[in-house]
Parts: sequence; C-alpha cells; structure tokens
Amino acid sequence: MHSPELLKGTLQTILLKVLKDNGKMYGYEITQRVKELSLGRILLTEGALYPALHKLEADGLLQTETVLMGKRVRKYYTITVTGKSLVKERVLEFREFIKTMSAVLQVQIA
Amino acid sequence: MPQLTTEHINYIIKDLHYRGLVYEPLQNELVDHICSSVESEMEQGKKFIEAYQEVLKSFGHTKGLRETQRQTIHSKNSIFKAMLKNYLTIALRNLRKQSFYSVINITGLAVGIASCLVIVLYIFNELSYDKYNTEADRIYRIDSEILFNGNHLQMVTASAPMGPAIKEEYPEVEQMTRIREEGTMLVKRSIDNIRETNVVYADSTVFNVFTIPLISGNPRTALVEPNTLVLSESTAAKLFPNNEDPIGQSLILDNKHNYKITGVYKDIPRESHFHFSMMLSMESYEDSKNDEWLSHNFVTFLLLRDGASAQELEAKFPKLIDIHVTPMLKQMLGPEVDMGAFLQAGNKLDYTLRPLLDIHLHSDLSAEFEPNSDITYVYLFGAVALFILLIACINFMNLSTARSANRAKEVGMRKVMGSLRLHLVNQFLMESILLSLLSFMIALFLAFLAMPFFNDLAGRQISIPWTSPLFILIVLALSVLIGIFAGTYPAFFLSAFRPINVLKGNMALGMKSGLIRSGLVVFQFAISIILIIGTFTVQQQLSYIQQKKIGFNKDQVIVIQDAYAMGDQLQSFKDEVLKNAAITNGSISGFLPVAGTSRNDNVYWPEGTDPSQNNMVSLQVWSVDQDYVSTLGMEIMEGRNFSLDFPSDSGAVIVNEAALKMFNFTEDPVGKKIATFGGGMGADGKPNTVSFEVIGSLKDFHFESLKQSITPVALFLRRSTSRISFRFEAGNTQDVIATIENTWNRMAPGQPFQYTFLDQAFGNMYDSEQRLGKIFAVFAGLAILIASLGLFALTSFTAEQRNKEIGIRKVLGASVSSIVMLLSKEFGKLIIVAFILSVPIAWYAVNWWLESYMYKVEVGVLVYLLAGLASFLIAWVTMGYQSMKAATSNPIDALRSE
Repeated sequence: MHSPELLKGTLQTILLKVLKDNGKMYGYEITQRVKELSLGRILLTEGALYPALHKLEADGLLQTETVLMGKRVRKYYTITVTGKSLVKERVLEFREFIKTMSAVLQVQIA
Repeated sequence: MPQLTTEHINYIIKDLHYRGLVYEPLQNELVDHICSSVESEMEQGKKFIEAYQEVLKSFGHTKGLRETQRQTIHSKNSIFKAMLKNYLTIALRNLRKQSFYSVINITGLAVGIASCLVIVLYIFNELSYDKYNTEADRIYRIDSEILFNGNHLQMVTASAPMGPAIKEEYPEVEQMTRIREEGTMLVKRSIDNIRETNVVYADSTVFNVFTIPLISGNPRTALVEPNTLVLSESTAAKLFPNNEDPIGQSLILDNKHNYKITGVYKDIPRESHFHFSMMLSMESYEDSKNDEWLSHNFVTFLLLRDGASAQELEAKFPKLIDIHVTPMLKQMLGPEVDMGAFLQAGNKLDYTLRPLLDIHLHSDLSAEFEPNSDITYVYLFGAVALFILLIACINFMNLSTARSANRAKEVGMRKVMGSLRLHLVNQFLMESILLSLLSFMIALFLAFLAMPFFNDLAGRQISIPWTSPLFILIVLALSVLIGIFAGTYPAFFLSAFRPINVLKGNMALGMKSGLIRSGLVVFQFAISIILIIGTFTVQQQLSYIQQKKIGFNKDQVIVIQDAYAMGDQLQSFKDEVLKNAAITNGSISGFLPVAGTSRNDNVYWPEGTDPSQNNMVSLQVWSVDQDYVSTLGMEIMEGRNFSLDFPSDSGAVIVNEAALKMFNFTEDPVGKKIATFGGGMGADGKPNTVSFEVIGSLKDFHFESLKQSITPVALFLRRSTSRISFRFEAGNTQDVIATIENTWNRMAPGQPFQYTFLDQAFGNMYDSEQRLGKIFAVFAGLAILIASLGLFALTSFTAEQRNKEIGIRKVLGASVSSIVMLLSKEFGKLIIVAFILSVPIAWYAVNWWLESYMYKVEVGVLVYLLAGLASFLIAWVTMGYQSMKAATSNPIDALRSE
C-alpha cells in the first residue's frame, strides 16, 4: 500500500481521471474503482475523498446529481467540460513529473 | 449482496447525527457510503453491528468523521459565509426581541454620530482653507511686528519697497505679489453707482502666486498697465447683467477715477482667507512706488522655489532691514540713532514668514483682509465631537452589559452546547456592528437634515459629500470600527461567563455588579456637566460684553456708509436730515468706535521736549466734527468739546484717558500741547513739527473688540467723509430710515444708500463668539440628551431587575416615595461624583478660553452650582419616570409567578 503522503498531490488527478473514464460514479464506487485499478495498493480514505470531491464541485470541475434510493440518498459525480480539459493537462503534467523523478532518483521505470 | 434494512439505515443516520455529523450535503453522501461499505463487510459474513464498527474504524470514529466534515465545509470555503449568516440571523432576532433597548441604543448612537459627522465636516472645512492654490505650501505672507515706545503692533502688512527688494535680492524667492486693501468703492458704468466691498490694488504677479484663473483676459498683462482692473465673475455679472463682454469697457470708481477692464477672474473659492471683488493694478497706486520702509501698508506674499526654506530666508531679513531702515531711523530720530541703538532701547522691528495654510486658523493680527477663524475653535469642536461620540458609545456598552443578565442563560447554554468563546465574541460583535451600521444610516439621514441649520448657525456652506468615494469608505470603515469599539467590552464581558454559575443562577448581575458601568455613567455626566458649564460661561461672557460700559452709547445711532458720494452737499444733507424732530444729533466722520471703520495713527510727543524714543506716543488720529462727541454719547471729563465758537479749534485736540497717561499729563491736561512731524526739513536741519493744544479729555471708550485693551486716541477737527452718523429717538426707527433715505435719494440720485446701526456693527465684532455660544449650547444639549437616554434605559433595566424585590417591599408596606428614593439613590450618588470630578476640569477649561479676553466676566460659583443642579434635575426626571412606574405597579403582577 502506498503512503498517503505520496498520494496527497495526486488525489485530484486520480479523481478527475477516474470520473472521466467511467462517467457517473458515487463516492463509494470511486474508492472501489481506485482500489481495483491499483490492485489494492491505493485505498482512498473517506476523510480525504469527500473534502476533495466537494472542492472540485465548488470549483466547477465536477457536477452532481442525487438519486433517492428508499431511505438512502445517492450522490453521483460526473466530470464537466472544464474538468475534462483539465484532466488532460494534469495527466500530462504527471507524466512529466514521473520522468523528472526517475531522472532525479536514478531509477528506470518499466 | 445483502441489502441493509430500513432499521439499520435509520440506526446509521441517527448514530452519525449523534456523532456530530450535521452538514447536510455531506451527511447523505456519507450515509450512502457507509451503508455500501457495511454491505460489503456483511458480505464477508459479519453481523451488521460488527460491520458497522469496522467501517466506523476506517473513518476514524467520531473524531475522523468530524474532521472530514470540517474539511469538507472548509474546502467549499463557505464556512465563513455560513457562520456570518447565522450570526446575522441571531443578531437580528435579538434586536427585534429587545426592541426597547435597540431603539434607545440606535437613537443614541445615531444622534451621537450625526453630531460628530457634522462637526467633523466643519473641521475639515476649516482645515481646507486656501488649499485651492496649487502651490499653497510654498506661499508665505510677510508679517511684521513693531514694538515702539510701548506701542505694540502686529500686522499682516509690510512696507511697499520690501517685497520687491526681497524678490530682487534672494534667488530662492520665485515670485512676489503685494496687495493693498482699498476697502469699499463706488463703481459705475455711466449713471448709477454700485457699492463694491473688498476692492484691492494688486501687483500683476498676483495670478502667478495664487491660483485665480482668468475667465477672460491675459493673466500676464491684465494688471500691468496703470488704471486697469480685473473683476470677479460675480461682480462682472452685477455690472454687466446682459451678458456683455466686460473686457475693454471702462468703469468710473468713486465718481472720479477712470479704469479699463482687462480681465474677469473666477470667483475666489469660499474657503479662502480673502475674497476680492475687484483688483486694480498696483501701477495705479502711487504709494506702491515709494521707498518708505517704515510705512506698513502692503500685504506681501512670497512664492518660494521648490525646496527653499522659509526659516533660512527669514534669517536673512535683519540684514536687509538694517541696510534699508537705518537711514530712515536717522532721519526721523536723529543721526545718532542706528538700528542697533533702536533695538537696544527695547524696540522691535521683526518680520516673519507665515505659511499661507496657517493664515485661516492661526493668524489674528491687525489689518487682516477678513476676520479669520481660530484653531481653538477647531480644538473645542473636535473635543465636543469626541465627547458626544464617547457618550453615545458608553450608552451602548452600558446597555449591552446591563442586558447581560438576560442573556447570561443564553451564553451558558451556548457554551454547554459547545460554543467556543470566540464564537460568542463574534456573535456579540456582529450584533454591535449591525447596530452601528443601522445607526450610521440613520445618522447620515439626520446629518443631512441638520446640515442647513448648522450652516446657518456656523455661517458656512458645508454639504455632505455623498459622491465622494473616500467619504463613503470612511463612513463605512468608521461604522464597523465603532461597532467593534462599542461591542468589545460587552463581547468579552459576556463571553467570559462560566456556564455552571450562570445556569445555576449564581451570578450576581444587574446594577450591583457594574463598577465599570458606574464609572462610565460618571464619565458621561461629568462630560455633560462640563459642556453645560462651558455653555453658561460663553453666554455670560457674551452678555457681559453687550452690557459692559463701553464708554459711548451704541444704541439709537444709524450710520450711513459712503457719505462721500454726496460730495459737497454732505453738510447740507446733514442739516436737512436734522430737520426731522426725531433725529437729535448728526456727525460726519468715518472714524467710529467699532471695528472695521476708518483708522489712522501717527506719533506724537509733548511739545517742548525733543522727540525721542522715550516720549513718543503712537496715537490713533481720528478726524471728527463738532458734533461727534454728542452724537456718539461720549463723555468729556475735563475741558470742552470742539465748538464753532472757537475758530482756533483746528489746532486743538481732544484725547482719551489712555493718551493722557502715555503723555504723562496726569494733572490738569487742558492747555498742554502735543507735537508731531509736519513733513519736510526746517532751516536748522531738523524735521519740521506742528503742535496741537489739548482742549479736553475724553473718558476711555472701547473702539475695538473687548479682546483688546484701550489704546491712546486723539480727536482732531478735520474732514472725514466716509460715513455720517445720526442719533435718533427711540420708537420710530422706520420713519427715521425712510426720512434719511428720501433725503439721500433726492440729494444724491444714483448713489447707493447703505446704512447700519451702530449697535449692530458693535454686535458684529462678537459674531464668532455668538456663533460659538449657540453651537456650543446645541451640542451640549445633544450630549445631555444622549446621556439621559442611556440613563433612562439603565433605570428601566434596574427597575425590571428588581421587580420582585420591589413587589416584596410593597407587600411589606414600603411607600411609593421610599421605593422611588431607593431606585434613584444609586444614580444620584453617581451624578454627585460626576459633578465633583467635572468642576476642576471645567474651571480650567473656562479660564483657558477667557484668557483671550482683555475684559472678562467673573464666572461665579453660581454657574457651577447651576450646571450641577441642571444635570441632577435632568437625571432625576429621567429616572423618576421609570422609578415611579416601578413603584406604583401592583405587587401582585411581580410576585404572581415564580
């Protein structure tokens, strides 16, 4: 499992990318999807997830819709147009970052 | 996948709520998330409660949940808004619930702020004088101080050659301009004369020094030629009502001089220490070209270069004076006298530079263009504004803390529920800022309503600068600041309550706990008493001035201005008017014992001695006729008045007591002679002299403001035709005016008929004092009103607090009067303390103000007692109503419920 310290800067990128690839998702679903993709090595904590989701929503990168499910209310997140354009940037940026890091740390990434 | 039952979901919702998850947008989401997690846990065979505990653990239990909630709210950046909204809601609710206190609070604060606003605008207006000049900070006026033989003169004027010499010799002087005041002139285009006041001669450089833009004409050349003049816009409009072009037209001044108009300038702003209606070219004024360094008639302004120091320039003046004045001294006082000896004998000839921006508030010398204001007024009003604001803020603090008793439970409850002290402080500050904002809005409205009255009172034209963004910003900032200032004490006082004490009812609250509150009430009333004493003193000094024996009879005398317009017919005009039986005396003379009339002085010495520095007396030389003394009601002490029976009276003089003392004519003055220079040199190389015989002595009379002492005056039988005065019998003033005006119009058609009454002119000398008195009275009244308002609310509060106590006392047989006494006693004590504290301060302040008067009223103990009594009465009446209400209420109402 990766340390939360390493994840901190990439959380928004992860959320945006996951939502872009999978369309409509709700909070729990996102954590599960990330867990799946990372082969269980990234577990998003709720304490980090929801503040980040609400922040992205407030910034206009995500939009939400709520669905009543009996007693439960499920809130789905989808990415907005501005969000989509930002994802590309963020992912590119992250690739550059990895290159830099591999150069700095003198390690080859497969 | 197992589905959770509704019961389980309800359990989760309730549990999360209990753990403090209240933020709705997050709540639903987390419930769903937790349910999903629990379901997946249960899939692995766990029981619901186990699964739930597992999930909770991953969330970090209560602490983690709350942290998530906090961060979510924070990430949306809306916490501040939410809190503010909550504070606002509660603040409004409280204001509504406590509407009695709110109204009193807001009214008091609004009246206080409105008064303060008006005064501050007035002060800013005072401070803005002469700032319209773009180079105002580089303009200086030459003031002169002359001490010669016991005569002390401080004037705004310098000699004619001084300005040009300074400009010539010192390169740091960029420009110089001289102004010679001419005063009133009769102006006509063809037939009818118009009377113009504020006429001056000015150097052509006046437009280089001052920022007086020309509407038409060329500022470089406008005043260069002799017999040219420039008009102010409004004078031009008066003389050329049909929009004609005044440039190039000519005007006839005083019926004889022909001038050409070369320019029209924009009216000089109100905030200026001079307002000339027309300026004649200095070239037309012969005296401006003379070389007399000892004759001071020209107001001289210097424009220094950027960075030049006025002090350094000033330091160079003594040398300049030495070079130019010594020859004049030798000529006048004998060859052995040079500048050094002159100064050694205790004389003085000093020139100083006064910054233009200092003139309006700091300059009160002889020959000012217009009476200036005084910095003491700025200080006085500033202090009053501050006091009123303080009183209003204190009210606010007092009422808020007094109400604390009612809100103590609220505070306790909030604290128990987890409110931090900071939240409570915020809450209370919010309330006071809200009150303050409301008060400011009302205050602006009140100030808007009051401004015309204040302008009338203060003789100003100040308006509220609604459109200035700076003003709006300052007002807003101030309202928040005052809200914080007034709210700080209650906020910290209230939020410091310990919930356990409050909720148990252990807090001793109300009046008894308020040492600070008592202190504040004392402070308020001390200020009020000081203001009352101040008001009484100003009124007393005013009536003292009006009633003091001034040495002449100012009542029932009408003065007709510009009598010279009558020309040769003046004497027959006088005779004609005197045919009216109601008019008893008449006198032709421009010299009158009120400020602003003709003045002239010269040096004299007792005949038979050589003129020296020790025996020369600077004498007011007044030209009068035979009827002067009787018309003005002056008193001859010894000798006789001028008379037609003595043709030799042209060589005679009547002097006042002050002059006798200076000449050392202590006994038997009649028949003694005084001499003065006659002009030119005699055959023996000494200056010619002429002498006059003293035929009578006059009782001293005041001829300037009572701020000045009486200086030597001598009356000479000479012509002075600028005014003619008539004494008339009481009762038919309108007839008298009509008669004189008819005669005037018949004998001098086309000349303006302008008159004043001597007592009015006398009263005008104290114009600023009268204004001060009125303004002071108004603001003192307001201060007391606000203080009383506060006291009113405080008493009603105490009465409410002691409701049950009063009920029990009544049941046990207390009388109404004893209960009223009981309730009033505490505040009564406070007011007595306030009185004792305020008396020394008031005494000091009053003496400081009276210092500036040569002749001042004795402020008796009575004034102080009266002020104390007045404030006590006001407080008593204020409290009395509330106390009576409490004392006369039916005890059953208070005791029925527990």
